[in-house]
Amino acid sequence: MIWKTAWKNVWRNRIRSLVVIASVTVGIFAGIFAVAFMNGMIAQRFDAAIDEEISHIQITGKDYVLNNDPQIMMSREDNIIPSIGSLSGISGIVQRTLVTGMAGTASKNAGVQIVGIAPEKEKEIFTLHKTIIPGTGDYFERESKFDLALIGQDLAKELNIIRFVIDSAVLIKLENQKVPAEILTKLSVISGKRFPNEKKFTSVVTSLLSKSELREYGQLIKKEAWSFRENSRMTLTFLDMDNNQVSSVFRIAGVYDIKNAMFEQVQVFVRNDVLCRLAGIDENSFHQLVIRINDLNQTVAITDEIRSGWPGLDVRNWKELQPDLAMMTDYVHQIYGLFMGIILAALAFGIINTMLMVVLERTRELGMLTAIGMNKRRVFSMIMLESVFLSLIGGVVGMIFGWLSVLLSAKNGINFAQYAEGMEAFGYSAHIFPEITFSFFILITILIIITGIASSVYPALKALRLDPAEAIRTE
Amino acid sequence: MKVLELKNVNKIYDGSEVHVHAVNNVTLEFQEAEFAAIVGPSGSGKTTLLNLIGGLDMPTSGKIIIDGSDLSGLKSSQLIDFRMRNIGFVFQAYNLIPVLTAKENVEFIMNLQKWSRKERDERTFELLKAVGLGDRMNSRPSKLSGGQQQRVAVARALASRPKFVLADEPTANLDSKSATTLLEIMEKLNHEEKITFIFSTHDARVVKMAHRVITLEDGSVVSDDIRE
Repeated sequence: MIWKTAWKNVWRNRIRSLVVIASVTVGIFAGIFAVAFMNGMIAQRFDAAIDEEISHIQITGKDYVLNNDPQIMMSREDNIIPSIGSLSGISGIVQRTLVTGMAGTASKNAGVQIVGIAPEKEKEIFTLHKTIIPGTGDYFERESKFDLALIGQDLAKELNIIRFVIDSAVLIKLENQKVPAEILTKLSVISGKRFPNEKKFTSVVTSLLSKSELREYGQLIKKEAWSFRENSRMTLTFLDMDNNQVSSVFRIAGVYDIKNAMFEQVQVFVRNDVLCRLAGIDENSFHQLVIRINDLNQTVAITDEIRSGWPGLDVRNWKELQPDLAMMTDYVHQIYGLFMGIILAALAFGIINTMLMVVLERTRELGMLTAIGMNKRRVFSMIMLESVFLSLIGGVVGMIFGWLSVLLSAKNGINFAQYAEGMEAFGYSAHIFPEITFSFFILITILIIITGIASSVYPALKALRLDPAEAIRTE
Repeated sequence: MKVLELKNVNKIYDGSEVHVHAVNNVTLEFQEAEFAAIVGPSGSGKTTLLNLIGGLDMPTSGKIIIDGSDLSGLKSSQLIDFRMRNIGFVFQAYNLIPVLTAKENVEFIMNLQKWSRKERDERTFELLKAVGLGDRMNSRPSKLSGGQQQRVAVARALASRPKFVLADEPTANLDSKSATTLLEIMEKLNHEEKITFIFSTHDARVVKMAHRVITLEDGSVVSDDIRE
């Protein structure tokens, strides 16, 4: 009866209750969507870091990372690879040779890390081969009489081996993507003209289009106008094992795009045998082992197992390689909980206000209930339930809207193309696919119930302090 | 059988500016199935006396003994429970729960006492039928007239078979016809259920129908007439 009465009481003043419910709905909806957005962003960053950049565990010779000394190497003759590879929980292991050097073209130079890889073996660990920009080449697939290097999009821009051009093909592509005809007319003025770098291209396009046109279509135009200079070459310069300077010309095998500017600017991949030949490194030797494991929860256990089995090596897992990533994944749920908690705390004030009005309006009724024998626990429960119902109705509706919004936006993602440069500088993709877990909805439900209960305490205590004899006489 | 006894009951409101002796040395006894009216001018202490009898207020001195239990010896929570089990209330302003139907209002106290559904249904139907509202069980108070609402309130007061019912000016808000109907119903239930009714009233019709009339003046009992 207490439940039924509390439920009916919620609808006694429909408009007031609906206002509270609407505010909870909006708060929960906004909270869920924001969390799903952050969650998607972090999940994408995590997947990209593991799948394209660092994998789960990296092993180097003792103090290699500390001293960056290319002489500190491991050898195949020590049987490290099969021994570690046979440990349970490990799904793949590859060796890499690492050399620090300079990449240069006729107009620009940039410091890089040259990574010697066995392309086919790498595919077992990384998905970098899936990130090659169409039209820029491939992942060491084609035969070539030249030495090949795979570089990142940002290094390609840095070395000026890309160009920007608006030609008829680009205009058609833009038209297909619903760019207004008036913008295409403005762009046709520079049709056929080649721009050697992004800066010059941006400056010309900015002079042609209005600010709002640029905001709306600037990134799209830049994306379509961008093209790679085929058969480009670059020189990689580094020191060999005898500390002699070696320079060699490489053809660009392909350009990868992993939405992480820092990685793309620095990491250049070449075939391991080529790098060993040029740097005078014995092909049985290598600088780094990269390991992929089956279960993320086994990260620390496997790291410790390798450390104890091979104490002469430096073993670092992804949490140690990218502590920011570890912190995000370890504390993300607490942060989401805190975030929702703040939203609900703000909503709680609205609920408290409403419940105080309820107690004030029903003074006589509450006095009557106490007079006829409804004890304090029941009076408290009735008010608390009313508050919980108000919160829960808003919460459930908010959760449904939140879930639907995540469902809809996750289908095609949300593209912040205009902020791509900034976001990719920190390793985050600008195209975000919100995602949320079922357990988060359970957490929110618990938080909403706690909010409802907490919001009812003060009004309920006020109700309990009523003197029934006086309350009954209240007009 | 004695159901209620007041021994030298006093109630003094002693504020910083006012000193009111609202109930002055009242000693009374009520027997089972009495139909008693407490009358007196405004400010004579009728409502205060009813509040003391109902355990809604505590006397400054004296004893109120209901069915052998002294109310002053009970803690607040025990007092609420005691009221629930032993006392029915009818208020001047009906005080029904507006969101509940007539049936739900009547069975509310039985729910608090954890009666079974079958028992509740039987008792609710029996009482609402007795007050002439057998066909309005599912009506909310807003759909009932004042007289009908007060009849529901009487049914609610009797629902858990209390030792006695306290009614504070039950006819004050009713028209003449409704008041007469209500009084006839209460008298009938008093007779059938053997439950003591104690009213505070200004209404001459109530006084006329009462079997006992207690007159208060300035908090003191000035007459106590028992009619045959």
